[in-house]
Amino acid sequence: MIRIEDLSVAFGDTEVVKHVNLDLAEGEILGVVGESGSGKSVTALTLMGLSPDSARVTTGRILFDGVTLQEAGRPRDKALYRSYQGARMSMVFQEPQTSLNPTQRAGRQVEETLRLHTGMTAKERREKVLEAFRAVGLKEPEKVYRSYPHQLSGGMRQRVMIAMAVILQPELIVADEPTTALDVTIQNQIIELLRQINKTQKNAMLFITHDLNLARRLCHRIAVMKDGCVVEQGPAEEIFRAPKEEYTRKLIEAVPSRMKKRKKTEDVHAAPVLEVRDLSVYYQDGNVSFLSGGRKNREGEKLSLRERLSGTQKEWVVSGADFQIYPGESLGLVGESGCGKTSLSKAILGMNCHIRGEIRHHSIRPQMVFQDPYSSLNPAKTIGWLLQEPLRAAGALDGTKAMTKGDMEAAAYDMLRKVGLDESYFHRRPSQLSGGQRQRVSIGQALITGPGFLVADEPVSALDVTIQAQIMELLQSLQEELHLAYLFISHDINVVYQMCDRIMVMQEGRIIEIGETEEIFCHPKEAYTKLLLSNS
Amino acid sequence: MEEEHSDTKGKKAVSWMKNIPWNKYLVAGLVMTGVAVLLGIVGFFWTPYSTTAMSASEKFNPPSLRHIFGTDNFGRDIFSRVMKGLGTTIGISSLVVLFSGCAGILLGAFTGYFGGIVDEIVMRITDAVNGFPSILLTLVIISLLGSGRQNVIISLGIVFVPSYVRIVRSEYLKLRDADYIRRARLLGVKDFRILFVHILPNIFSVFWVSVMIGFNNAILAESGMSYLGIGVQPPEASLGNMLSDAQGYLQAAPWYALCVGLSIVWVVLGFSLFGEGIRRGKISQ
Repeated sequence: MIRIEDLSVAFGDTEVVKHVNLDLAEGEILGVVGESGSGKSVTALTLMGLSPDSARVTTGRILFDGVTLQEAGRPRDKALYRSYQGARMSMVFQEPQTSLNPTQRAGRQVEETLRLHTGMTAKERREKVLEAFRAVGLKEPEKVYRSYPHQLSGGMRQRVMIAMAVILQPELIVADEPTTALDVTIQNQIIELLRQINKTQKNAMLFITHDLNLARRLCHRIAVMKDGCVVEQGPAEEIFRAPKEEYTRKLIEAVPSRMKKRKKTEDVHAAPVLEVRDLSVYYQDGNVSFLSGGRKNREGEKLSLRERLSGTQKEWVVSGADFQIYPGESLGLVGESGCGKTSLSKAILGMNCHIRGEIRHHSIRPQMVFQDPYSSLNPAKTIGWLLQEPLRAAGALDGTKAMTKGDMEAAAYDMLRKVGLDESYFHRRPSQLSGGQRQRVSIGQALITGPGFLVADEPVSALDVTIQAQIMELLQSLQEELHLAYLFISHDINVVYQMCDRIMVMQEGRIIEIGETEEIFCHPKEAYTKLLLSNS
Repeated sequence: MEEEHSDTKGKKAVSWMKNIPWNKYLVAGLVMTGVAVLLGIVGFFWTPYSTTAMSASEKFNPPSLRHIFGTDNFGRDIFSRVMKGLGTTIGISSLVVLFSGCAGILLGAFTGYFGGIVDEIVMRITDAVNGFPSILLTLVIISLLGSGRQNVIISLGIVFVPSYVRIVRSEYLKLRDADYIRRARLLGVKDFRILFVHILPNIFSVFWVSVMIGFNNAILAESGMSYLGIGVQPPEASLGNMLSDAQGYLQAAPWYALCVGLSIVWVVLGFSLFGEGIRRGKISQ
């Protein structure tokens, strides 16, 4: 039904999509898998006629049911596209936060599609929207209809987006990383929903993702893209069972799975590097009115006079955390977003002073590796300067640790080698580095003062799978070499399985389960843990 | 070892040149301001003719090869006086920008980074200053201090501080929660160092644009004050008081007002293009 023939797209002189051929039959789900920069999104946007004006189709054409939508050397026919967009083809975007208009109610935005493409009356439209909301599994359609996007959760927003995309029963749905911004449990539900829609509406689906596992679960066929080319294409199971291309094999291997056994590195008899006892973390919530005297706070206690007077109430985000971390050990911390993972790690690092309980460090200045490699390095400085700054800071705090300029430079070069970068990076700036390289520098910066304990907050979740594997390997080899202890925070169960000796599961601010990795994976005690495990 | 050192130094110089995101705005702005600044500096030491010597016979000569901008009502060479005037005007504006820029960085950095009650007080004061029309406020300050070169600088300096405080503060407010600043705090870097070594270089591109805009405003404000007779006093040349003189002879010597006016336009346009060039360069990066 959809045929992309020999398509090349260029921005200026650089081709980002090179001679791509893709076919999509009615009712088929085709997964396009690739790392960032592989051209998968540009291909999809070009197909939808939504690519930016600076993009040119240089070769090939796109056919929809035999009609040429786009062709090389011809400007995009906007009127033709308008008759297709919405009615016959629609798109689900990655970020439900920004793809819905924040100033309009959700129902109205979905209704807009109907108003543009059908002659229904207002009442019919409303009925139809509610019906679509019900179909995508929104439990209170009436309420969602009246809600503004910010009043909905990420999963609900994505459902609204999907309702908007499928309400006219289009023949083609393009989904560009529709689940990447969502938690695993929600992710699963959305995938299930897409599969169901495909079954009932029989529409063709182009599913774009960087996650091979997701593609395998949903798609009939998979096309693997690299540097703008389709390197391999075929039935999903076949690609996984017998990948023909070296790159595909690398991708499949890089996906963290539970097959890989982890060696034990912990040493339980040593004194712990970190002891946390009955730790609770709270924020001051400013939504208490003086008159709400009879109301109870989260812990079920009556609001005190002081809370009512100051108009703030303690909002507990972590309660009663109790654990130790031993040298050379990785402790995994898993849970959905908003469960208090980050608050807990901040409290441990002393970045949050609203705590009750006890945190005892037995290592010098614990450091942290952040999630986003693009914002964790100061863009105005060189890599060499960044690596030396921790030493300068340590010297300024404690005169005995002051080092000469030459020593610091030598230490920086040494660390550069340790994290797997060569000396030429010393004079570069963060903007000249890729995400993986930045994360390496980030790790180097955290380790250069020789802390025994590192908090890693989703250190690999912003990276491509192959890079992800390299960074995890680096973290593991550094752990062995320097006998480090990690608190490893992640939402990806498989990553945690590969990295960690023990796992803590957190739900709504409480640690509900803690134990050996094997034990948790094989015999989870809590229902929530089981749910987390079954969803990945 | 020494060889290696000189090598890296050479590389640094090259990469510094390369790091400038050249574009046509930047080049045009640089050329225009460059010419103006050069004329001003040269005019400080040497001018083709005396800027004060009067001559009745040379009165109101139209532009010619001898006097390319013509002569004024006292027979003085206008080009020479424009050179002097450029020097005065750009000099005063530079000092105004320097003063208000430094004060803006200091106040903005502390209020933006630390917040709290001091932030609240400083921001309310800047709001109050912003509430007055700037020319009115300078008039008040001048009437307190008296007219003259340094009082112009002081009064304009004070009036321009709030705009810099606002810009610097909002940048600090944004960056204080950036991951790399959090990390610096985690490493135990002292607050003062975070303020001026870690954050400051990152706001320069935004800051330079506002400096260029501020420069323009300062030039216009200084010219305006001299025009109104509360700025630089004659016989000292400034673009503003020359323009004020020239308007009396619009019919007898139209080139007088035209040449002086176009000089002001030239300088202001130059700095505007310069600022625009920096802004676009920043976006392309």
